[in-house]
Order: sequence, then structure tokens, then C-alpha cells
Amino acid sequence: MGEIALEVKDLYITYNCMKNYSIKKSLLRLKKVEKNRIEAVKGVSFSLEKGKILGIVGKNGSGKSTMLKSIAGIFAPDSGTVDLHGNTISLMSIGVGFSNELTGRENIALSGMLLGFSAEQIKDKTEEIIRFSELGKFIDMPVRTYSSGMHSKLAFSITAILETDIMLIDEVLSVGDAKFKKKSLNKMKELISDTNRTVVIVSHSMDTLKKLCDTILWINDGEMMMYGSIEDVLPKYEEFMS
Amino acid sequence: MLKRFIRDLKKYLAYSGKAAKAQLKSEVASSYLNWIWWILEPVCFTFIYYLVFGVLFHLKEEYMIAFIVIGVSLWDFFNRMMKNSVRIIRANKSIISKVYLPKYILLVVRLGVNGFKMAITFVIAIAAMIILGVPVTWHVFMAVPVLIVFILFTFGISCLLLHFGVFVADLHNIVDIVLKMVFYVTGVFYSIGRRIPGPAGNWLINANPVAYSINAMRSVLLYGKMPNLLVLLIHFVISLGLCILGIYIIYKNENGYVKSI
Repeated sequence: MGEIALEVKDLYITYNCMKNYSIKKSLLRLKKVEKNRIEAVKGVSFSLEKGKILGIVGKNGSGKSTMLKSIAGIFAPDSGTVDLHGNTISLMSIGVGFSNELTGRENIALSGMLLGFSAEQIKDKTEEIIRFSELGKFIDMPVRTYSSGMHSKLAFSITAILETDIMLIDEVLSVGDAKFKKKSLNKMKELISDTNRTVVIVSHSMDTLKKLCDTILWINDGEMMMYGSIEDVLPKYEEFMS
Repeated sequence: MLKRFIRDLKKYLAYSGKAAKAQLKSEVASSYLNWIWWILEPVCFTFIYYLVFGVLFHLKEEYMIAFIVIGVSLWDFFNRMMKNSVRIIRANKSIISKVYLPKYILLVVRLGVNGFKMAITFVIAIAAMIILGVPVTWHVFMAVPVLIVFILFTFGISCLLLHFGVFVADLHNIVDIVLKMVFYVTGVFYSIGRRIPGPAGNWLINANPVAYSINAMRSVLLYGKMPNLLVLLIHFVISLGLCILGIYIIYKNENGYVKSI
């Protein structure tokens, strides 16, 4: 067995449905507002070796994305632990709050810093990001002038070029026009199949999972149904879903 | 906690600076008069207060214009920080739902933005002082500790508002009302000490760190007088306590914020 890169133990995440408290509301309605708690993830544990690719399957609303966010450190789990063993981690997401009035170049620097990279690291990668995004002269124009396609191209390039040890991917992304879609898909595959990188993918596409993953975690309504190799889990999952 | 705070601050300081610059830049990019507004706004408010209170109500003070500019600059900073911090988590939802960052860093960014605007009004204040021929004494150096305590206090309160603003959706309405009230008792356009003499006035100044800071700033810059150092020390301790409490609360709860908004 190789080195463990990611260890999740007994993860529980609950949501409070009564979102927040409002003074006006509580003045108007003096009786206590009922708290409606939803348990999104109930006791999931798994560990993943370095370089392995884990696919997470489950129907909509079964807590897959919630779990990814929690592994990335955006959400606090209610109980349980996530141990990254010192690896850097990022959740691949489109557009980390672009600032509309700033140019693409400045937004690269800002987003990169938010993702935890130093100014020098970003500087080294900037040209590569610009080249990959195919924005050309638009890179020095404010982001508000971008079309939605250009917007997502830039966002994709930033997250794809600024790599981390562990990548969490919520649906394999492909953005932009047909040509860029192909290119971004290839880039994703390249990133995922790098043997030094540990990847967790959430996907509904059986094809993608079969092609990319080593192991599969199946969760249903927040509970772990199965955890094992593709051959073991996917047929049962497909049977369950049909 | 202190260790974590220092490590986080170091890690995100470059981002804070960059983000503050970016926010200032995008503010000017959207209007034609651009940065001129940062000068015009405090100047206009100063003249309004001067006309209404100085001329109409005869609340004259020595070096009236500089007196008001100093009040306006500190008050605007405090006022903006308070209003920003109640909504800051909601306003930055797109960032915090995608990456982790210590949430008070968002406040540090606003400190940069509003601090820059305050610096501009300070330049205006200095210009007013020169034009009015205010004699400069060595007391002006005392402006530095006064300013530090004032910023610490503002940051501490901001941290608390950031936290409660997440869970109390309409807190900003209350903050607006409270700020309006505090504005009138803070002596932005009048001197508390002269208009409300006796212990009541002293209380109003010393128990309200904003009023105290404005008052102390005027004493050292315009009138060459030392501020009450004991009160400054007490405010420093309280402000530091507020900052520690605020950062502690944020560290403890920040990962739950995304779930609530």
C-alpha cells in the first residue's frame, strides 16, 4: 500500500434549514421557529492513496458536493475529521469571484492568491494561463467586457494551470466553444491522470468514471452504500438507479 | 490562536493589499469623475456641516473647517467599516463558497480601502490647517498612537459585526440606526467638551472611543494639547480585547458561515 494522501473519518455534516435569524421576524412571530435540520452527510469514511483517483456517485442531493466542500475546508463538518497529510488542496470551480472592473491579468493574480499561491508562483504561471485561455488581447481588458464563454475560459485556465496536490472536481468540466471544450477536457484528463496527483471526482457520467477512476464511493442520502473498485460498485449502482 | 493569526495574516497580507487596490480601482472605473469623488465628498460634507452648524446655528469653533474635516475623516472611516462589515460575508459569497480564507481577511481588505480614503481626507485636513495657519507643535506626533487605537477599536467591532451579521439577517438595519445615533453624540461637527460641559460631556467623550479619538485628534493637531493618556491606554486595552475576542469568534465559527447564507 502506498502513501495515504487523504483520509476522511466518520464525516457528519448537517444543515440548518432555518437559515438565519431575523430580528423583525422574531418580533412578529414570538413563538419559537422550528429548527429543521437536514443531515447531508452521515458518517462517511474513506482513505485514498497518493496518485489514486476516486469517483463519487450518488443521486442528486445525496450530499456529494457538500462532502467535497467539506474536504476542501470550506465547510466545517459537524463531526469527524478530514486529514490531508500536508497536501495542498483545491476545489475546481468556475470563477473565484472575478472583479468585473479589473483586467483579466489582474484577476489571475487575485484568484491565484485566493487559491493560496504566492505572487512569484503566479507570475511564473501567468503567461501559461493566458496562452491556455486563448484570450489574446482581451486579457488586458476589464472582465466585464468578456463574453460568458471568455469568462469561463479564463476561469478554467486559472484553476487548471495552478495545480495542487489534491484536486476535487465537481463534474468534469468542459467549457467554451467546441474547440476549447475538447482542449479543456484533454487538460482535465492530463491533470487527473498525473500519477503524483490525488483526485476526487463527482460525476454522473458512467463513461467518465469508467475511463478515469480507480475506486468508487457510492453514497445515498448521505450514507455510505459501497466503497470499492469500479467493477464491484458501478454495476450495483447502475442496478440501483434503474 | 495568536500563532495561527500571525501565520494567516502573513499568508494573506499580499492578497489583502492587492484586493484593496483592486476594489479602489474598480470603484473609480465605474464613474466619470473617478478619484475626484474621494476628495469632493469629504469637502462637500465639511461645507454642509460648516454652513448648517457653524453659520446657521453659530456653533463656531477655532479653525472650524479643519476641525470639521478631522471629524469627518475619522467618522467616515468608522461608519464605512461598520456598514461594510455587517454585510461582508454576504457580499463576498462568491469567494467564500469556493475557497477557504480566514474571514477577517475580508475586513483587512476593507481596512485598506477605507484607510486609503481616510488618508485622502487627512491630506485635505493638512491643507486646511496650512491655509488657516494652524501652528504646528510637537503634539502632532501623538496623532499616531491615537490613530492606532482608533483603527484597532474599529477592527474589533467590525469582527463582531461580521460574525453576527451572518446569523442575524436584518442586523444592518439596526446598525444603520445605531450609527445615526452615535453620529450625533460623537461631535463630528461640534465640540462635545464645549457644548455639553461638565461630567456628562466628559462621559460622552471618554466612554465613546470614536468621540474620544476625534477629540484627541483635534487636540493634538489643532490646539497643541495632550489627550488624556490614561483614557487612551484604557481604550487601547479594550480595543485589543475586542480584536482578540472577534478573531477568536471568527476562527471558531467561520466554517459554518457558508452554510448559513
